[in-house]
Amino acid sequence: MKNSREHRCILAYILLVFGVFCLFILNACIGSVRIPLPEIAGALTGRGSGGTSARILWDIRLPRAAAGLILGGALSLSGYLLQTFFNNPIAGPFVLGISSGAKMVVALVMVFLMRWQLFLGREVRVTSAFMILAAFLGAMLSMGFVLMMSRKVSHMSMLVVSGVMIGYICSAVTELVVTFASDAQIVNLHNWSRGSFSGMTWENVQVMAMVTVPAFAVVFLLSKPLLAYRLGEGYARNMGVNLKALRVSLVVLSSILSACVVAFAGPISFVGIATPHLVKKLLGTAEPLRMIPACFLGGSAFCLLSDLLARTLLAPTELSISTVTAIFGAPVVLWIMSERRKGRAA
Amino acid sequence: MEYYFQTRGLCVGYQGKPLIKDIEIGLCKGEIMTLVGPNGAGKSTLLKSIAGQLKLLGGAVFLDGENTGRMSGRELSKKMAVVFTEKMQTELMTCEDVVATGRYPYTGYFGILSGEDRALVGEAMELVHVSGIKHQDFGKVSDGQRQRVMLARAICQKPEMIVMDEPVSFLDIRHKLEFLSVLLALREKKGLTVIMSLHELELAKIVSDKILCLKGEYVEGYGPPEEIFSGDFIKRLFGLSEENFQGNEKLLGYLRQVGKGE
Repeated sequence: MKNSREHRCILAYILLVFGVFCLFILNACIGSVRIPLPEIAGALTGRGSGGTSARILWDIRLPRAAAGLILGGALSLSGYLLQTFFNNPIAGPFVLGISSGAKMVVALVMVFLMRWQLFLGREVRVTSAFMILAAFLGAMLSMGFVLMMSRKVSHMSMLVVSGVMIGYICSAVTELVVTFASDAQIVNLHNWSRGSFSGMTWENVQVMAMVTVPAFAVVFLLSKPLLAYRLGEGYARNMGVNLKALRVSLVVLSSILSACVVAFAGPISFVGIATPHLVKKLLGTAEPLRMIPACFLGGSAFCLLSDLLARTLLAPTELSISTVTAIFGAPVVLWIMSERRKGRAA
Repeated sequence: MEYYFQTRGLCVGYQGKPLIKDIEIGLCKGEIMTLVGPNGAGKSTLLKSIAGQLKLLGGAVFLDGENTGRMSGRELSKKMAVVFTEKMQTELMTCEDVVATGRYPYTGYFGILSGEDRALVGEAMELVHVSGIKHQDFGKVSDGQRQRVMLARAICQKPEMIVMDEPVSFLDIRHKLEFLSVLLALREKKGLTVIMSLHELELAKIVSDKILCLKGEYVEGYGPPEEIFSGDFIKRLFGLSEENFQGNEKLLGYLRQVGKGE
């Protein structure tokens, strides 16, 4: 039994790594310009001709795929942390309004800076790090509200309802801000506020990796106290866990991860809720030590697949990423809810 | 007299509001103390405070002569285990996985179990007769089994003392007796000290060495069961009649039998 569980785990990991690898390659190959595999191999190893296809590959597709890989993992991990923290299976950065909060502050900052640019008459460069900071601020703002509500109402569905309401308020403010933005930037802002991986550069990828990789490492190092936390506060404290420190790190880490996603790709729905559950079922265990890396890989695969579909389904028109993730993610959430109901009845 | 567990001038309550004051308890190693009292008398509050879950509002708790307030979480967890009635996220955890979390204070940074840890987990499950369900999903076993799994978890934490909040409340009479007989066996074999709350006065009377009655702001009564259960003290505490406590000899006999039998 023990052995078969371990085998399943190993198998699941092989599947996840293989899946991410394949999807990454597919993302590089498929697009409005077809690039055959040999040429990709050539471009990657530097033996390529340096022609148009190599440029498309290096400047557009590869950074985009890398962003999907990193941000997908970040989203899924953020969802996992929130679900653990609130002891709520349908918690996630999007549902709890954290993504929308981050989106609002980023939009405010962008529009404000544009106004300021006009006023000064020269260009102010907005660095990625600055955007992440703004998103983090917004994420913490929403998180603060949700935490406040969670103290008042302990019921699971009420928490989600308050999160969704906060999300609506933040989205309304964002819409308002976008309406007042100057024409040229509206397109930009509008695309981003719907969520998309397009227009990623290697510099973006570098910054997001610099945020996500350390955050992932810290989460992984917390896997033992996370296991204890799942048993409830009483038991966790009895096991010698420093609850206060753990709670603060959970809040900060999940906010950083979702803020990073919002800063670069805008809000993306359902990846954070759905992936941890799918991965859990695949692994056959919810042990944090095994869940955390698998969760990251699962999120990467989910986002790579969704982005591929978003780009190709109605090509040359590009769908927003949330359109695709919602189609796959929402049924998963419904399935989780019905499973829980069944589990309780049994 | 040297007590293993002692409280001095203990005052407990929530959010700075004292609920019970001046609690003075002393227990020798291997003694079982039971908290009785009506609902809302503060039994859980006292248990949580003793286990270091709630901030003490005054006084101190001593374990083996050491102030528990000055011990680190890890140090305390090696001496004291708890069994609470708390909501847990045990999705996809087998009973064995849950028991294994008792080894937490002893495992390394990532909490990976050694062979020795596994052996101790198996031993603890054997002791409370749940080895048969070790591969079953913890969320799907019966209440009685779940309580015993939680006891096994506490046992493999290798504590010198266990604090339990109403451990037998959801069990039928057979499982109540079985559970308590395991406790008595543990006390016998390992010199375990136990503090728990029970609503079952008949059982409290026969398994406890000391009884602590809670009602109102102060400790209403404290002493060996013979003392507490004589006269109309309990009657006053709950408004009960004498007949409730008759026929205990038979019950005790059965309890001892169960304890030895399995």
